[in-house]
Amino acid sequence: MEMFIDPHIHVVSRTTDDYEAMRKAGIVAIIEPAFWLGQPRTEVGSFKDYFSTLVGWERFRAKQFGIVHYCTMGLNSKEANNIPLAEEVMELLPLYVGKEGVVAIGEIGYDDQTEAEDRFYRLQLELAKEVNLPVLIHTPHRDKKKGTTRSMDVSEEHGVDPGMVIVDHNNEETVKEVLDRGYWAAFTIYPHTKMGSERMVEIVKQYGPERIIVDSAADWGISDPLAVPKTAALMRKMGIPEEHIRMTCYQNALTAYSQSGQMDELDWLRPEPIDQRQRQFGNSVLRGGQEPKVEGSDFVEN
Amino acid sequence: MNNSIDIEKTKNFLFELLEQQSETKSIEWLLQQKDKIEKEGSYLKFYMAFGQASRFFKKTLLKISENQKEFAYTLKEGFSPQTWDQLQTARSYLLLHFEEKEASSWVNALNKLFETADMHEQQSLYAALPIMPYQLEMKERAIEGLRTNISSVFDAVALNNPYPAEYFDERAWNQMVLKAIFMQRPLYQIQNADERANPTLAKILVDFAHERWAAGRTVMPELWRFVGPFINEENISDIEKVLQTGDPIQQKAALLACSSSDFAPAKKLIDQNPEMGNAVLNEEITWELIGEEFQYGK
Repeated sequence: MEMFIDPHIHVVSRTTDDYEAMRKAGIVAIIEPAFWLGQPRTEVGSFKDYFSTLVGWERFRAKQFGIVHYCTMGLNSKEANNIPLAEEVMELLPLYVGKEGVVAIGEIGYDDQTEAEDRFYRLQLELAKEVNLPVLIHTPHRDKKKGTTRSMDVSEEHGVDPGMVIVDHNNEETVKEVLDRGYWAAFTIYPHTKMGSERMVEIVKQYGPERIIVDSAADWGISDPLAVPKTAALMRKMGIPEEHIRMTCYQNALTAYSQSGQMDELDWLRPEPIDQRQRQFGNSVLRGGQEPKVEGSDFVEN
Repeated sequence: MNNSIDIEKTKNFLFELLEQQSETKSIEWLLQQKDKIEKEGSYLKFYMAFGQASRFFKKTLLKISENQKEFAYTLKEGFSPQTWDQLQTARSYLLLHFEEKEASSWVNALNKLFETADMHEQQSLYAALPIMPYQLEMKERAIEGLRTNISSVFDAVALNNPYPAEYFDERAWNQMVLKAIFMQRPLYQIQNADERANPTLAKILVDFAHERWAAGRTVMPELWRFVGPFINEENISDIEKVLQTGDPIQQKAALLACSSSDFAPAKKLIDQNPEMGNAVLNEEITWELIGEEFQYGK
């Protein structure tokens, strides 16, 4: 079966139906970047529990559906603007960046491009260098082109190798510079605000598959956890070569993030049947010994 | 420090196990980290090393000789490192080098580590309870571990671990067994299960079985182990019902439960089913065998 990686998805906000659909569509591994929750946090403890969820409960949940879950750790740019809180989060981060399956520092960068955002972005670039992890940059929704350029300028100022940086949420206006400067260019297929699948096909036609990564960034907003396999299907329909589909929807993400030493194809290629429920992973999302649903049914099973 | 475990001997034992089966560079790293933790005494150093151990040690089960198994028991009755992997052994080794003058500050530091731990780190910490320097002080934390829905973490507290039987009060113990049944964990891996059996638990489990039956579901056969010593007029009909299911593994469990009862009608049930009854009396049927068959098939 064709395999996909969705290297940017906020699965804490998604249901088990989504997990089932993702697995069925061929998604074998996902990366969940630490981000904001829609509702701003006001206590450092909320960050602590969120970070713990990313390396704990959510990883377990994904595993029950046969999907390997990785994450990135960081203070997002929006919440960097609450300076006293941001300072506390920065003290917390070192406890999490070294954990298993943490494949990058991110998503970090700019939102409104304030002074506070700049300060915490720089501090986290330094942290990434110190622990030798890749960086995932979130480029701003507003004033995007300038924000993207600035993100790369500042990263270079701190001596971070562009090959270690994934710049996400690109569009037709930003992609050329990002690729020319040697960065990984990720595209988020997210209806209305970011990219659509059709535009993505055009970009791969124009720029080829080198260092281009497709993701969904599906979260609590109107978004699609199947954006990667759907875009791959459209690419195929539009005559994009198979190898280019594999690169942009699987291999490039793996190559970029495995620089962390924390992501390995064997993690999902190793034959370990999903349905080991009675053996290693009793049921807890699947409560009280209930059978995991394999195909959809039209009644609620006992 | 309470005297339930010789920390120095335990450190040496864990090191010996790791040295036999890990790469030289991993052992070198471990020794460096140990020195740092001892010298600097900083909890942050300890946390970082505890986390980064995953970069140096594998989650491969430890290979342990019979002698080593026995030696583990002399350190702590029930301590079963044969169920541990190399990574958690390395983490436990580091943990034993983290010292604080006061029990309370040690417990606080450990609690913080528990709160920020990933899945495998939590597993390591809960499984290490029986070799920790301050054990009684960790009781609330251990009970908190039972509230998880991550089965590998729950297992670390409940299975192959002498801690619950030694420290949990009846309420926590019963909660653990009931949840283990609910999550269908292999109950035969709960240590000292028979010593801690109690009538309250038996009653809870019979109620649980009724609830499952009412919903048209079955219960795992190992459940009856905890009912056996408390079979009485009220619940003997439940045992009879299990015998009538026609499912051999359930029937074996019902008769094995009867064998631990002094209640005459229970004894009679064994006589009425001579073939299986004899196998029970000859110890050809055990809770381990029933549990293994239920979990993994024959």
